[in-house]
Amino acid sequence: MSELKTNADITWCPGCGNFGIFTAIRNAITRLEEKDVKRENLVMTAGIGCHAKIFDYLNVSGLYSLHGRDAATAQGIKIANPSLKVITFSGDGNGLGEGLAHTLFAAKRNQDITMILHNNSVYALTTGQFSPLTEKGWDGPSTPRGSFEKPFNAISLMIEAGATFVARCFSGEIKHLTDTMVQAIEHEGFSFIEVLQPAVPYHEWAEYRDKVTFLDKKPETKEEALTIARKASKFTLGTFYQASEQVYHKALYGDHHPIQNRLSRETRLNKISKILGSK
Amino acid sequence: MVRDVFTFLVGGKAGEGVKKAGSVAAHIFSDLGRYIFQLDDYMSLIRGGHNFAVVSTSTRWISSHYMNANLIVNFDKRSSDLHLNDRAEDSIFVYNSDEQELDKGIGIPLSSEANKYPMKSLMIGVGAVAILAAVIGFKKEELNQIIKNEYPSGIKDNIAYANTIYDMVYPECGNKFNLNKGEKESPIITGNEAISLGAIAGGLDVYYGYPMTPASSILHFLAKQAENFGLAVVHAESELAVINMAIGSSFSGARSMVGTSGGGFALMTEGYSLAGMTETPLLVVLSQRPGPATGVPTYTEQADLSYALTAGHGDFLRIVASPGTIEEAYYLASEMLDLVWKFQTPGILLTEKHLSESSMTVEIQTNQAKWAEPKMHNAGTYMRYLDTEDGISPMLFPPSKEVIKWNSYEHDERGITTEKPHLITKMHNKRGKKIDALVKELKQRKTVNIMRGDMNSNIITYGSTYMSVLEALKYSKLNPTIIQPIFLNPFPVWELVDYKNQDNIVIEQSSTGQFTTLIKEKAGLSVRDTIKKYDGRPFDPIELSKRIKEVLK
Repeated sequence: MSELKTNADITWCPGCGNFGIFTAIRNAITRLEEKDVKRENLVMTAGIGCHAKIFDYLNVSGLYSLHGRDAATAQGIKIANPSLKVITFSGDGNGLGEGLAHTLFAAKRNQDITMILHNNSVYALTTGQFSPLTEKGWDGPSTPRGSFEKPFNAISLMIEAGATFVARCFSGEIKHLTDTMVQAIEHEGFSFIEVLQPAVPYHEWAEYRDKVTFLDKKPETKEEALTIARKASKFTLGTFYQASEQVYHKALYGDHHPIQNRLSRETRLNKISKILGSK
Repeated sequence: MVRDVFTFLVGGKAGEGVKKAGSVAAHIFSDLGRYIFQLDDYMSLIRGGHNFAVVSTSTRWISSHYMNANLIVNFDKRSSDLHLNDRAEDSIFVYNSDEQELDKGIGIPLSSEANKYPMKSLMIGVGAVAILAAVIGFKKEELNQIIKNEYPSGIKDNIAYANTIYDMVYPECGNKFNLNKGEKESPIITGNEAISLGAIAGGLDVYYGYPMTPASSILHFLAKQAENFGLAVVHAESELAVINMAIGSSFSGARSMVGTSGGGFALMTEGYSLAGMTETPLLVVLSQRPGPATGVPTYTEQADLSYALTAGHGDFLRIVASPGTIEEAYYLASEMLDLVWKFQTPGILLTEKHLSESSMTVEIQTNQAKWAEPKMHNAGTYMRYLDTEDGISPMLFPPSKEVIKWNSYEHDERGITTEKPHLITKMHNKRGKKIDALVKELKQRKTVNIMRGDMNSNIITYGSTYMSVLEALKYSKLNPTIIQPIFLNPFPVWELVDYKNQDNIVIEQSSTGQFTTLIKEKAGLSVRDTIKKYDGRPFDPIELSKRIKEVLK
């Protein structure tokens, strides 16, 4: 099998939190392959932002989408071919700003895809504006007097929206991140991982390392998960919620496969003639 | 008395079964082997207001309704006030005597008779069918059979009501109009049904939509047919989601289509440009209603033409074509699917409310539809954006051991992001080559309908206005040459060279004359005059023929 890394030049800043995510996803894919998940069945999409550069670096098929639209693109891939495992790489601005509706609806539908949301709490690539996950008071180029909007709580938001696997990881905890990625990709339903990752021009690793803690245990019910997600500090890592619910494509067409079971031209024409005959 | 065209108009409040009565009438005529054209005029509301259906029928192919009607049935005062002037010279006008007294026409207590039964308001529609049956001399048994077939819930009450109304009108106007039988019975479908069926015939696998009149009925029809044809049909959260999901599905190798009207398409243009850059085969059905903005949701216009031709930021190949008839909509939907897959670029099937939601008799050769097949990669290392002679890169879909990368950034042949100047130029040129290849292909296909006449003037029109023009010319017995471009981008200038300096008249439904501008600027044709209409209503053949006569005199 070929390398999981392309030969594209990596343009993340030295020390960027994205490197940890890049390492973890390659580990996770290797682990999944050991568990008989074929690499050719993995497909990715990415939005636009620093997070999305992973598209050029990871040697996996996919579609480099528009800013905020990657979750919609990923859903379209899955709906047409339900045998693919689709991972969408997103960012805090990308997935919870421009693409908020697509992210929420992917969760609402329990689309069987995985979203890895790189949370650097800033619009890094566009030079440091506040994002939907930035704490109040951010001194960015668009908020010279400090930002005054409160951030979303991505974890409780996604549980509420209907995601059936919701976790928070840290790009400095690669083993935990890898394990969680494997579980999320294996999970049948919409899985969401918020990955804390420092963008080094704006944040230091120490700001995270000193604060991260782990959940004692996975909450059992949705109510419990929501309560804990709301109370916990934003540096609390772990899987907050996991549940088994019907996935979107099965509700849509059961065990049908739109591509593998597509009707021949002849069958279609016969059926069309029948419809026309009844009109 | 026998006439070329017989027209039935029924009007009332939304929820009274006006549209249903119109379509039952259409099928009564169709059962006689006659051709029909039905226009449904309705307001953007659920209950109340004023709706009407007008069905014109002939033993010959008919391509428009006539507002001048031979039988007008009004369920309420508002309707009879509005349609008093729509009476043809020889006509019967029925009004609801529970609401008013008129010195003209026949008053029938449609409401009070209906109120004798449960589920009253919908039964008024049955009353209109009974009146029609009496007027065209159907026996009661024939009427009862129609009611049984068309109004299966509450058959007994419906038949009783219908018979009461029939008996009331028969003495005054029973058997007043005899309708000749035609040669054969053919299907009646709407334009949106034709588009949907054509797309299925062309290989459609997935459809995404967000409700918006007049495209919603594509979503409804396909959702209903999804299981029958193994389609995935999804009502998504917004037009942004719709187009990006469709692009994702094309990446998986599914033939995907989306449908919307102007406002929804405005949201889609971001994704439309993505399809241009990623070279995604994607068919958009853009059914126009009067704009700008929310405009007039349930009416017709042709004012999104220039928008459709240039939609989406950046340089890329856009295919735009517009069907002139409901039959043509079937073939064109499949052909557009074929072309967007051959040339791996987005395309628009541009139409209007008038075609989307009107119904007419069609004689479709189902197997004349095209079948969308992309050029596929055979063997060796795969490069998604391989630069080829015609700019078309072979396709490959996951799962594959080869890595397949589609990219919204400018990219190299493998699909990896680039900012290098020579690669930017090279990829622009690669995509640009597809335009030449497409023009070459279109030169082999039918891109314009031209019907040569014996006058020294040409009428140039497109889209559903073509149907209005054909009927107006039949009515007026004028015989100019009629030119109807099906393809609007690339524009088939090669077919129109001979007409450059002739006496050309354009007919369109845009206040600024967008189609006229296209004809002048793209094809370099001289245009002496433009006949325009932009009140949301399609042309009426009698009104249009007067205007054509004035211009041609």
